[in-house]
Amino acid sequence: MTEREVVVGHRLGLHARAAARVVQLASQYQSTIALFRNDHGKDVEADARSILGILFLAAAHGSTLTVRADGIDENDAVSTICEYLRG
Amino acid sequence: MSDERIIRGVMASSGIAIGRAIRIFDPSNISYNFQVEVDDTAREVARFRESVEKCRKQLERMQGELRGSSIPESSYFVDAHLLILKDKLFVDRIVDKIQAEAINAEWAIQQVSGELYEAYDRLHDDYLRERRIDLEDIVRRMLHNLRSKSSSTVPALSYDAVLVGRSIPPSTLFELRSARVAGLVTETGSPLSHTSIVARSLGLPAVVGIHDLSGISSGDPMIVNGSRGFVICDPDPSTLKEYRQKTRQQRSTLRRSSGTAPCTTQDGVRISLGANINFCEEAQSAAANRMEFIGLYRTEFDFFREDGKPSEDDLTAQYSRVLQALRPAPVTFRTVDVGPDWKSGDGTGSSLASRGLRFSLENQDLFKLQLRALLRASRNGRMRILLPFVSTIDDLDAAIEIIAGVKRDLARHHHRYDRDVPVGVMIETPAAAQTCDLMAPRVDFFCLGTNDLIQYYLVIDRSDQSAAQLYTPFHPAILRCLHQVYTLLQYSGRPVTVCGEMAADAAAAAVLLGLGFTSLSVSLSAYPRMRETIAALNLGKLRELAGEIMKMDSPKNIEERVRSTIG
Repeated sequence: MTEREVVVGHRLGLHARAAARVVQLASQYQSTIALFRNDHGKDVEADARSILGILFLAAAHGSTLTVRADGIDENDAVSTICEYLRG
Repeated sequence: MSDERIIRGVMASSGIAIGRAIRIFDPSNISYNFQVEVDDTAREVARFRESVEKCRKQLERMQGELRGSSIPESSYFVDAHLLILKDKLFVDRIVDKIQAEAINAEWAIQQVSGELYEAYDRLHDDYLRERRIDLEDIVRRMLHNLRSKSSSTVPALSYDAVLVGRSIPPSTLFELRSARVAGLVTETGSPLSHTSIVARSLGLPAVVGIHDLSGISSGDPMIVNGSRGFVICDPDPSTLKEYRQKTRQQRSTLRRSSGTAPCTTQDGVRISLGANINFCEEAQSAAANRMEFIGLYRTEFDFFREDGKPSEDDLTAQYSRVLQALRPAPVTFRTVDVGPDWKSGDGTGSSLASRGLRFSLENQDLFKLQLRALLRASRNGRMRILLPFVSTIDDLDAAIEIIAGVKRDLARHHHRYDRDVPVGVMIETPAAAQTCDLMAPRVDFFCLGTNDLIQYYLVIDRSDQSAAQLYTPFHPAILRCLHQVYTLLQYSGRPVTVCGEMAADAAAAAVLLGLGFTSLSVSLSAYPRMRETIAALNLGKLRELAGEIMKMDSPKNIEERVRSTIG
């Protein structure tokens, strides 16, 4: 399992278009990939292949997300998605 | 007794539509829900999967059509829909529901979508909350596919229709483009939502953000004034007649003006008349009507259209398309004019301390990004770059320096661009009006933005309805200001175009011409009317008139005098 934190760099946060892009990127990998956002001490989780899940994370510009992947290409998956989220 | 009611909203696509209302219903009101035998759940799951597959095919076809249309970037809303069709939060939960509760597919879709709508409504972000329209669109399509065999999701229309709904999905609009839809009005949405974008590209007048449409029923006669952002319900016969006249005029003058004959006054003086646009899709209709030039393209709406930071490549492609569509007509691109609260779209909510060029100088990354995209697109037509809300020479010099830096950087990276793109200043602050002669040697042209200029000269907040009647271009202070700008720039060799609303009012335009201005740019919808107005004006008389009103003191008397003179 690989895990990394990233600060969302997109001006409007993880909005529809950015969320769609994350799903497209995540779909290129075999690993299971999840995004976590810490909301007042409680972790909110989203499957990186679910556009609705990512939208409901409501990750604003500047918020911190944890990207976690588990599988044969977990390292690549985490780097690609973190790089995209940084904007 | 008159039943006529005027309801105000936000302008989303210009033009006037007359028709009868058709309510676009919430699909959850019309489907039939029931329990099924446990043995039959497999059949319901199969029906559901079939409808998903059918949706996918319809959406992929639409995506292909959109990509080949004048709005290829809009195919993105279809991308989002296709991803929802694959989303296990949606699809898997519906299948689970059918099996666990032994209910029909329709019912399961409604239950799951209902839970997801609630999740949308709990979001604190306005923009994200509005995205529930994507899900609503999918659900509507799915319920329709479950119910019927035909692939069109909308009924045939037997009269000119105005679509009325809380929201109208962009896909519905796109599918209806060949039906008799005259216009649309919605409660939700903004000029930036996909529905508005599609409406503009189809040339359908639209008003959005209307507070409450519940009083309108299918069949009610209505008028949509997309240029002014209001609708008239149950119009009186006299109102209807007036608007019929307007639309007829609009059509006939558009036809006549499609010739390339230059615009001249009655006494044969050549006047340059251009059009203002707010969205890249409007370039197509401006080109179709052979506009002489685009005097003002307000780029902020398109700039902030995308989520996140706009991409330089996307902007370059968009600007190139605008230039190519209008070539050989020149297009004046005004760089982003907004303040910190740019989400409001029109900059009205922003603090004055950081508007227009000031905002760009404080957010140089965005400014440079736009300049790079503009310059990279510049070889596709005739581009002019206009700087908004300039108030000091220092700011102007800083902006010119940044433009030079961007050019050097592009050259270093072997990007080709037009080295001679003219750069101009929008005169819309009293400071710029007073010092335009000092700015002249630094720039190539000027535009006069009368809307803001009048507001700041007369100290009126245009968004404040109670002060609306104080807003007048006929105030002696404004006339003197305009006269001064004309005189200061008269021998500068720098052309001036007047771009505000003032140029689109017959009497105010007459004053501008009388004061010596010979280049005006007005909204697309006012363009044909203004051509006719100018053709009926006698410039010799207007010069005399200008001399007289410069000596008068009351805005009301001045306006009356001008209106009675031009008849």
